[in-house]
Amino acid sequence: MSKIIHKSSWYLLALVLVVLGTAPAWASQYLVFFCLLCCVYLAMSQAWNLLIGFSGLFSLGQPVFIGLAGYTVAVSTNYFGLSAWTGLLLGALVCLLFALFMSLFIFRVTGIYYGIITLIFPESLLLLFSNWEYVKYAQGMFIKPPHTVSITEIYYAAFFIGFGALALVYFILRSNVGLGLMAMRDNEDVASTMGVETFRLKVYCFLLSALVTGFAGGIYYIFLVFIQPQEAFSIAWSVKLIFIVIIGGIGTIEGPIVGTFIYVFLSQYLADYFSVSMIILGAIAIAVILLAPKGITGTLQEKLKFRSLLPRRE
Amino acid sequence: MQDLIQPIINGILLGGLYAVIAIGLSTIMGIVKVMNFAHGDMMILCSYLSLAFVTFLGVSPFLAFFVIIPLMYFIGYAYQRFLLNRVLGLEMDPPLIVAFGVSIILQNVLLLAFTPDARTLMTSIGLQTITVSRHLQIPVNYLIDFLIGLAVIVCLYYFFQKSFLGRAIRAASDDEMAAKLMGVNSKVTYARAMGIATMTAGIAGILVGMTFTFYPFTGSQYLFVAFGVAIIAGLGSMRGTFVAGITLAVAQLLGGHFLGPGYQMISGHMVLLIVLLVKPKGIFGTV
Repeated sequence: MSKIIHKSSWYLLALVLVVLGTAPAWASQYLVFFCLLCCVYLAMSQAWNLLIGFSGLFSLGQPVFIGLAGYTVAVSTNYFGLSAWTGLLLGALVCLLFALFMSLFIFRVTGIYYGIITLIFPESLLLLFSNWEYVKYAQGMFIKPPHTVSITEIYYAAFFIGFGALALVYFILRSNVGLGLMAMRDNEDVASTMGVETFRLKVYCFLLSALVTGFAGGIYYIFLVFIQPQEAFSIAWSVKLIFIVIIGGIGTIEGPIVGTFIYVFLSQYLADYFSVSMIILGAIAIAVILLAPKGITGTLQEKLKFRSLLPRRE
Repeated sequence: MQDLIQPIINGILLGGLYAVIAIGLSTIMGIVKVMNFAHGDMMILCSYLSLAFVTFLGVSPFLAFFVIIPLMYFIGYAYQRFLLNRVLGLEMDPPLIVAFGVSIILQNVLLLAFTPDARTLMTSIGLQTITVSRHLQIPVNYLIDFLIGLAVIVCLYYFFQKSFLGRAIRAASDDEMAAKLMGVNSKVTYARAMGIATMTAGIAGILVGMTFTFYPFTGSQYLFVAFGVAIIAGLGSMRGTFVAGITLAVAQLLGGHFLGPGYQMISGHMVLLIVLLVKPKGIFGTV
């Protein structure tokens, strides 16, 4: 039984891959937008899950990378006449560098402090960008690449980063790095006594998740065409990521996939009421933590006793 | 040099307020070992509750201290008892996520209930100043903030040193097992500690409401103030918290003085990051 479910979850994943991969060919424009958002959030939530689920880092700093990547795209296309894709690469590079800078500070503290230290960065950047003339203060910028980018191109970029992130997390966890990460998450002291270089692993994870989030954020803003500091560095990103990962299941590979679909589906209905949607997302996340801390996939796994896609070496 | 005296004096007075803002957060960090993301929002919740109380009854905001602050105790108690306690001790992340979720919910509920307009708690003495010299005027409400802040810190110090509950709270945080064997119910004790911390947050909320304008989302700004003070002070030092409050406030006001008011908060964040870089355990910290 458990083997069948395990196998069928692979088929399900392949089906999702094929459906999303061919979406521009058959789907309506609305559905393509839906799938595009799914891919972007899939990449972001996998990156966040890599931090919280596998390395035990509760990061609220992800909006930094989304905003920085978006602004790099905006600045490089508007002021330097670069193409959107060059801007995207630059944006990811900026994210990587800024993540290096952030790791100077955030790894000096442990445990309960970590979340709030990472929260300082998006708040500071939000204030900084709102007071910066070069990026037109809080009014925001339009992203006008010299050559217009078709929606299909953006879609495949998003598809690539979404499933790229999935594959990346999968292969990382298969490697020795993944074993070290999980050992570190379960008990950091024991792991480091056993020779796991916890500090280096944490920095790797953080940089990698910054890179993936940067790509996803850049693509999102190429799609959206308009960027504003209040939105780009908003704490709402963290709320969404928490919701997606918690409801799907922390520390599983399929969790963020399930969570992403639920979130993007819900957000279609919640889009008009920002504060109501924040209340609902927050309340559901708390309820899930209190009642079923393993999320949908984790609870299902326990009930049905099937192995997850999560690689474990027996 | 002459015009530096004003921001420095203001900063010192504001430091008393910052110490009250921080003391609840750092107490909970030390005792329950949870980063209470909702701390700033509890403050602003109290500001709004007091606003509603004052507007409905048409009384002075000072009365809110006697009515709303006890209410805050029960809010904090329930928050710890029914939400945080249930996820405590599992892993590190669930309490953080719950606290963060409560913070987001509070902000948005306040937004829905009170609209995003700037509010303030008007007092008759709010705008008065004491003129010391041509270059130095002391705003009366800053002075009140400082004095009440000092009083709260001193009371808390004696509470934790002398009273039975204060000792029980410290015992439960030092060694939960030993405290349990001595007949201390640690979960209830944590809830009481959170109640007290939320009361101090409430006092800070009313003071902030009387001194500045507030919006539904101002809470996160004060969360950083509280956290900054707690980090600079290091955990578990009341005197340190007071000095750290003054340090951060002076740094912010000087930053605002030199760079412009838009940079006031950022300069506070920068001081915090520099302290983290140089002395991650805090300046007065023993842990």
